[in-house]
Amino acid sequence: MAYIPEGAPCAGRIRTVTFGTGEGAITLGGQNAMPLYGFDASFANPPRAGIAVTDLPPENLPELTRFYEGCETMAQRAVRARERSGADFLCLCFPGADPGGANRSVEACTADAVAAAAAVDVPLAVVGCGNLQKDELLLTAIAEALKGRNLLLFAARSENYQRIAALARDFGHKIVAQTADDVNLAKQLNIMLKGVGVSYDSIVMNVGTAAVGYGYDYVASTYDRIRLAALEQSDEDLQMPIAAPIYADVWSVKEAVAEEADEPQWGSREERGICMEAATAAADLTAGADAVILSHPASVQTVRRFIRELMEGGAD
Amino acid sequence: MALKGIDVFKLSPKLNCRECGFSTCMAFCMKVAQGDMSLEKCPYFSADAVEKLQRQAMPPMATVKAGPHSLGGETVLYRHEKTLVHKNLFAVAVCTRVPREKAEEKLRKLQSIDYTRIGERMQVECVFVRSHGGDEARFAELAGQAAAAGRCVILHCREASCAAAALEAVGSSAVLDAATPDNWEEMNDLARKYGVPLGVWAPDIQQLYETVRNLEQKGNKDLLLDVTLDTAAKTLRNAVLVRRAALKGGDRTFGYPSIVNIAELAHGDIRLQTAYAAMFIQRYGSVLVMQDMDYAQALPLYGLRQNIFTDPQKPMKVESAIYPLNGADENSPCAITVDFALTYFLVRGELERSNEKVNLIICDAAGMSVLTAWAAGKLSAESVKKTLENLAVERKIRSRILIIPGKVAVMRRQIQQALPGWTVVAGPGEAVQLPQYMKEKAYLTAAHAAAQETAAAQKEQSGEYTFQELLERLPPIHHEDLGVHYRGRAPGSRAFTVIGERIHCISPVIRRAMDERDPGPILKRAAEQIAAGATYLDVNIGPAASDGPERMMWAVKLLQENFDSVPLVLDTANQKAIEAGIRVYDRTHGKPVVNSADAGSRRCFLDLAAANDAVCIALCSADGIARDVGERMKFCHELLERGLHLGMASDDLWFDPLFLVVKGMQDKQADVLETLRLLSQEGLKSTGGVSNVSNGAPRAVRPVMDSAMMAMAMMQGMTCAIVNPCDSRMMETIRSCDVILNRVVYSDSYLEL
Ligand code: SF4
Repeated sequence: MAYIPEGAPCAGRIRTVTFGTGEGAITLGGQNAMPLYGFDASFANPPRAGIAVTDLPPENLPELTRFYEGCETMAQRAVRARERSGADFLCLCFPGADPGGANRSVEACTADAVAAAAAVDVPLAVVGCGNLQKDELLLTAIAEALKGRNLLLFAARSENYQRIAALARDFGHKIVAQTADDVNLAKQLNIMLKGVGVSYDSIVMNVGTAAVGYGYDYVASTYDRIRLAALEQSDEDLQMPIAAPIYADVWSVKEAVAEEADEPQWGSREERGICMEAATAAADLTAGADAVILSHPASVQTVRRFIRELMEGGAD
Repeated sequence: MALKGIDVFKLSPKLNCRECGFSTCMAFCMKVAQGDMSLEKCPYFSADAVEKLQRQAMPPMATVKAGPHSLGGETVLYRHEKTLVHKNLFAVAVCTRVPREKAEEKLRKLQSIDYTRIGERMQVECVFVRSHGGDEARFAELAGQAAAAGRCVILHCREASCAAAALEAVGSSAVLDAATPDNWEEMNDLARKYGVPLGVWAPDIQQLYETVRNLEQKGNKDLLLDVTLDTAAKTLRNAVLVRRAALKGGDRTFGYPSIVNIAELAHGDIRLQTAYAAMFIQRYGSVLVMQDMDYAQALPLYGLRQNIFTDPQKPMKVESAIYPLNGADENSPCAITVDFALTYFLVRGELERSNEKVNLIICDAAGMSVLTAWAAGKLSAESVKKTLENLAVERKIRSRILIIPGKVAVMRRQIQQALPGWTVVAGPGEAVQLPQYMKEKAYLTAAHAAAQETAAAQKEQSGEYTFQELLERLPPIHHEDLGVHYRGRAPGSRAFTVIGERIHCISPVIRRAMDERDPGPILKRAAEQIAAGATYLDVNIGPAASDGPERMMWAVKLLQENFDSVPLVLDTANQKAIEAGIRVYDRTHGKPVVNSADAGSRRCFLDLAAANDAVCIALCSADGIARDVGERMKFCHELLERGLHLGMASDDLWFDPLFLVVKGMQDKQADVLETLRLLSQEGLKSTGGVSNVSNGAPRAVRPVMDSAMMAMAMMQGMTCAIVNPCDSRMMETIRSCDVILNRVVYSDSYLEL
């Protein structure tokens, strides 16, 4: 009696979504097997690792301050990240726009985005500050100013999807439908976006993120359920690629930010942060992320190596 | 894995000879599958068929012991399908090739990883001792040192002579790794001799399968599968295919836990090793062997492992304790919240961000979030008081300021009354507002106001009243003819029982009416429900810690006096209130119903119902949602036994399987329906809040889904439900089902009562 390997493609397939322009454009998705299961069906497009670049200099993170030493502007940080991290794409983030914080104006942030976009040639994603109203104004301004760059905008939630839909329709960008650990809402938001004229080829999902150890059980099960529905039951309303901006979750937990003086046993703070980021990214990629967005250049490198090994190491 | 009748039938002799006492093979096989009949009663099943069926009836994956730890025993591929039962273990590799001092240093270092995270002790559980170059003496020595470190030892070697030497040194608490296509017979003899589990390795999956088969044929089923190959991609492939073959393919040959030697795959890149480990925690690594383990790796990986291996139906709980933050001392104020791990992390993080000294007190709330715990009565004045007592807070802390979550500001007064000497203030509604709240010391202003109020209240308060006093204190009952009469239930009627759910404190209108003893809104809702055909009215007065008895007596008298002694379901977490309600209850239309008891901390409500000759709604759960059908029935039987023991009739227990919301628990709906079927099969009565199924769904969807669920539940034999009788679609469905099930005689106008 012999074992007959059961490697077989799934009935469904993840859709492909392309962002960025020209030769460097990135296509996400396309797989017809569970994440990283190259033995079930050959890989379509590899998952990607992006790096987050912020409008204000990174605060309270000495490791990043060192990396960006000498950079005065967001554009300069973008160039540094582009040249030294090896990331597949850049994610322009605007924590400085938060009305509860620095409350930078939409105009100033947009000018930063335009300058950064002019300085680098890689595909770009854009994340706001987390304040729903401000982000809507900010992302709309950036979407208009960077018309034609085919951005990946982390924008749509069930509260604002109608207005955000216009950014895909009018300016030709890709939008990320954002929900938090809720399969049903993830599906519903896609359906609602389609209802207001957004093509399924323009939608990427962010279905919720968490640092490992911090409610990651919900994230893992949400991913599993969404990927099983998309692949095994061909649920076309859940077949979008998934992008996971994990940097903010990772760099706020104790394990990553506690001072060495406070936790002498734990060793190097920088190493803790990198491992936390690499572990969270790897967990997301295993569960079904097609793109992850990180902060630390070293974790970007680790995650890119992880992806390469899994894509290329399967041949006998 | 349970056998299916049809699977047994496929392997049956199909002679229909009746020797087994059944008229057909099919009938016999169905009984075998249900476990009511033994296969031996038929003399004609082939030995092969018998073996096959026995294998099928076994769990799909063996549970294997590695030292004191259990591995494997999984039944599902993904945690949301049920739960993963045994977390993976971590091992650190030490090799005979490295110099002595380095090996000893490594053994020391791995022991420094030792901490507790949400009630779980985090350690490197195993040492993976690798033989290099066949130095038997050195291998045995190293194995001995590893065992002395108090860890389970995994002996990794290919030479039987080495294995023998090391096993002699460490004995039976080890794992031997690995039997290969070349050495499996010798390795098997050794593993059997020392009674240790045996890892199996082969250069490809076919040979792995054959080697396992060979070992099984020699009678060894205490195995692990070392799935490590030369790359991470191939190792993942192996790990997945093996687990999938066992759990989905039903092939027990691969039904063993795995060993993944990540140290071999990461080539010294510690960060890459961390990433690989994160992948194998999720995808089927049972023992993960690491080159090294330091806190940078342990913190994320153990956190991830804890998340992945939690039971998805039992939330993660932190220990009820006092957590002094930012250097808090006995003079720092106290803040209290629930023990749900996510809430704890969130609140703790924000309090730490404030940099203000504060003692965070975690209350035992069954791992529920603040609002859920409040609604379930787990976060109440009583539970807060108990927590302070259990933790001896008054002895340890001098400050008498207690900040409660702003989400339950409504409880502030009750908690204040339960805690004389304290000043209870409500914090902000969201955790993110905590840093500002703490920095501005907003609690001091609130405390001042609260203290004044308490002083005023103390004058009025006069302790507990007797039943007679309560009765005298009741406001006069308002009588009003709303033109609606309760007609009673036809004796012997088999029609479905409808409990109207609309008098519930979750509704702000009703809560206010209860607070102010305003009869208007309560009578209005009662009239509507009775007119729509309710058999009983549920009366939920909320947790009602302080004036529960008085509230319940008032509500019972108000409703029964206005509506022809309409029968009621008394619904509150306050036992005294239920007792008081029963004492004024008019039994013209039968016994009162107590809502509700469960097999956990609400067990006392069953005792209360029994003592007062009332019907009791019994939840098939124990402080939470039961895992599966089996667990629901287990709780049902526990409660049934207790009820009967207390002299209740089985018909006076109405079992509630707990209806679950589709949004989020879609895959558990079939369990609820199956439980109803089993209850009905056992002749037991059932009830439940059917419309919970559509909770959170759009308005237009809810009645449609509710009535579909109702119809399915009635099909399964449900006898009663707690629903909104004013939902006409629901009532039409119930009446139609009653007709179709032949419980009510049909007439063209059956919909109109
Ligand atoms: S004894 Fe066996 S062969 Fe005969 S009827 Fe029963 S099951 Fe069938």
